[in-house]
Amino acid sequence: MIEVKKVNKSFTLFNQNNAKITVFKNLNFEVNPGEIVALKGPSGIGKSSILKMIYGSYIIDKGAIIINNKNIATLSAQEILKLRKTSIGYVSQFLKVIPRISALDVIMEPLLNSGDNKNNAYKKSIKLLKDLNIEKNLWHLSPLTFSGGEQQRINIARGFIKDLPYLLLDEPTASLDSRNRDIIINLIKAKSNRGVSIIGIFHDEYSRKKLNVREIDLNIETKH
Amino acid sequence: MISPLLKVTNLSKSYDNIVGCKNISMSLYPGEVLGIVGESGSGKTTLINCLSGNLEPDRGKIIFNINNKETNFLNISESEKRKFIRTDLAFVHQNPRDGLRLNVSAGGNIGEKLMSVGNRHYGNIRSLATKWMDKVEIDKSRIDDLPITFSGGMLQRLQIAKNLITSPNVIFMDEPTGGLDVSVQARVLDLIRSLVNELNLTVIIVSHDLAVIRLLADKMIVMKNGTVIESGLSDQVLEDPQQEYTQLLVSSVLHV
Repeated sequence: MIEVKKVNKSFTLFNQNNAKITVFKNLNFEVNPGEIVALKGPSGIGKSSILKMIYGSYIIDKGAIIINNKNIATLSAQEILKLRKTSIGYVSQFLKVIPRISALDVIMEPLLNSGDNKNNAYKKSIKLLKDLNIEKNLWHLSPLTFSGGEQQRINIARGFIKDLPYLLLDEPTASLDSRNRDIIINLIKAKSNRGVSIIGIFHDEYSRKKLNVREIDLNIETKH
Repeated sequence: MISPLLKVTNLSKSYDNIVGCKNISMSLYPGEVLGIVGESGSGKTTLINCLSGNLEPDRGKIIFNINNKETNFLNISESEKRKFIRTDLAFVHQNPRDGLRLNVSAGGNIGEKLMSVGNRHYGNIRSLATKWMDKVEIDKSRIDDLPITFSGGMLQRLQIAKNLITSPNVIFMDEPTGGLDVSVQARVLDLIRSLVNELNLTVIIVSHDLAVIRLLADKMIVMKNGTVIESGLSDQVLEDPQQEYTQLLVSSVLHV
């Protein structure tokens, strides 16, 4: 379960006349195991910020974010690293990789980093590449040369390859055609059926309906 | 909770009246990559030179804890310190010419490091050197060539091989991709990253290139005027910097 409790978040931009931007005041919600929560609201309202606060990339001003009975806000850097490795999958909006590394290696990496053996990691990654409908002649190429939709699916594969209890998804179905969107929707459903707590940003009504999400409307939650 | 591999407390070093670094405290855990960023003159190099034994700090504590054995780095005899540096630490210089002997063959450079930690069997040394040439993607047939015949990127990869072959516990890297062409940089970066993952290396890397830090480092510290002004997870410091100077640094990066 993920619990977001009385969270305040603001940004102070020192180099822009110390402008202070308040993003959240007293934000509260929770996500149960097996539940898919969709964050809703216009762009700029802080949907991605919520995912980043939970992942520990953004520091919160006040409140608590509890995962595995641990409060992200008070953990040390190495404790957050450990929690990410064992518990939290994060699919960012855009794929960030170094040139020269093949798609297959990009996907295998999270498994190898947690000590899985090469053979096992290879088999799992190949299966996921097939499930995701990525053509075989691309597997050994760097994803930097891929189309937007293909990069997106590699990014998803990297986030989905491990069995982790929490998943944060930043627009996983954007830039995909309808067939590939359905493939991703089914993968997300399968994760949810296995009890994973999922928080996502889904721009299209279709994905939200298919995934049977619980919507959190940030227009209402952040009215202060 | 595992204990840190390296714990630094209130480390200070001045050059006459000029502050090198001041009151630095930090810790590093096994398998972590720590990035140090900051402008020229901020004390990055002074700090890693103190930590790696190249410089004697004025004050502070440096404790290494390797296999549950604590070494009080600033309190041991000179000979113990030399031995510790030889066996447990490694230093990759920005300019590979500073870390290699250019009039000794590539294999000789690597072999020398092995001999310094007690390897004597010529056949073993040569086969290990060959294996490492391969690991850093240098054609094995070049083992008897002098490094002066190597390109800049190859020299840097050779220096990396030389440093890693003895399985050091902490590896210091000072701008390891700084002097290389962009295309060569990517290859060296990729090599460092795959070695870090494969061998679970513990690394302290100095760079002024935030992209390098983002790709390689788990944690980072930002230095200014000899002090640490901000520290934390790399993605956190880069995406949600809390200090004015760090915000300036992050917002000054050009995106292509």
